[in-house]
Amino acid sequence: MKYAFFVGCTTLSRLPGYEKSARKVAEKLGVELLDMPGSGCCGTTYLETLDHKTALAMAARNIAIAEEMGLDIVTVCNGCTEVLTKTNKELKGNPELKAEINEVLAEAGKKYMGTVEVKHYVKMLKDDVGLDAIKEKMERSLSGLKVGSHYGCHMFKPAEVMEGEDPENPTVMDELVALTGAEPIEYPNKLECCAGPVMGVRENVTWSVGLDKVKTVKKYGDTLATACPFCYLTFERCQLMEEESPGLPVIHLPQLLGLAMGLDADDVGLGHNKVDAKGILEKLR
Amino acid sequence: MEITFTREAKEFRNQIMAVEGAEKLMHCYQCGTCTSDCPIAKRVPEFRPRRIARLAMYGQKERLFEGDLLYLCAGCYTCYEHCPQEVHVSEIVSALRKTALDEGHLLPGFKALMQSVAEMGYIYEIDEFENEMREDDDLPPAPEPDTDGIEAIMAATGFLDKVEASRR
Repeated sequence: MKYAFFVGCTTLSRLPGYEKSARKVAEKLGVELLDMPGSGCCGTTYLETLDHKTALAMAARNIAIAEEMGLDIVTVCNGCTEVLTKTNKELKGNPELKAEINEVLAEAGKKYMGTVEVKHYVKMLKDDVGLDAIKEKMERSLSGLKVGSHYGCHMFKPAEVMEGEDPENPTVMDELVALTGAEPIEYPNKLECCAGPVMGVRENVTWSVGLDKVKTVKKYGDTLATACPFCYLTFERCQLMEEESPGLPVIHLPQLLGLAMGLDADDVGLGHNKVDAKGILEKLR
Repeated sequence: MEITFTREAKEFRNQIMAVEGAEKLMHCYQCGTCTSDCPIAKRVPEFRPRRIARLAMYGQKERLFEGDLLYLCAGCYTCYEHCPQEVHVSEIVSALRKTALDEGHLLPGFKALMQSVAEMGYIYEIDEFENEMREDDDLPPAPEPDTDGIEAIMAATGFLDKVEASRR
């Protein structure tokens, strides 16, 4: 299994633990993630609210690179996933628009054809690798660890574009958590947005949303698992901003999977988690 | 504050509704589902998706363009999914942002972000320093974006000029 790996700005520059664990887990599963030469920003979810055509062209440029590689795209960011998926769908379904965007792309020497798919890493794990195959790779158990998953908005919304799972009742992250032997938990307001996108507009709003979730998960569980760099940063930073931090470890889902697959703390970059997550290691058996 | 529905206001409403995704603005019957489910509305009294829809229906440009109001939407699509009338207030907000930019307005933070993308190909600088850090983690160097190509794309649509000329 081989994919074009679209890491995304934030993970590339801020979250080595996420990228490292995602790559190592893929390796364990025999999934090849190939870098995309010349790729850059997906355009951001902001751009689609400012200029439709530019947003499509920016995303299409990256998709075109994967097309040149002849590979489907795997992403680790909900924002990138949404932007690339939306563009891909819109252009595949509208030949006139595709031609219009290709005129813009010619400026960058690229051509969008509509020959590949885009999927989030966790979806790739479940749909392409398969839960059974992942389970077979588990060497240790995180039994006794209670994990609250945070899906993040753009993994499955808007539903008509993202498809796959019911955004009101998503399951993939909890299913993956369960494979590690840990206990996936339910908690109030599980589906609420992290509000990361307004961090640069009114920071305090983001911290308030983040802390509400962190405190709720702390009441019911031991750690909060994410699969999006913005959600992760929100839940980590909102705690660091507090004089008395709630101290709830926030963990990238592939880090949990990796630990259960026998990778060590360094392999999954656990030292990069700024709210100390080493306590999780004590649960391993 | 009294709302006067002038001819200009009606024109502004039509301008919003002409943007893709905002066509169903007038289907809004003010039920407030959007607002009760909005994570931002719970914390910011002036950010009420229902109020934004209502102000847009009455073409109240000045009030909509005030301060950072339009940029407080996190784009979580909760209102999009839950709206019984498929008005999609998040798309109304996007239409308002597009219209604001056409008229020369953009929040400075958004402007800086878009300029970064045009200049560096990423939203942050990812250069030697970052790549050294990546190397310490056994990660390959970050892909080098074709910055010329990216800037050319953003310029070809006229977007970059609008961004450069924009003010709050």
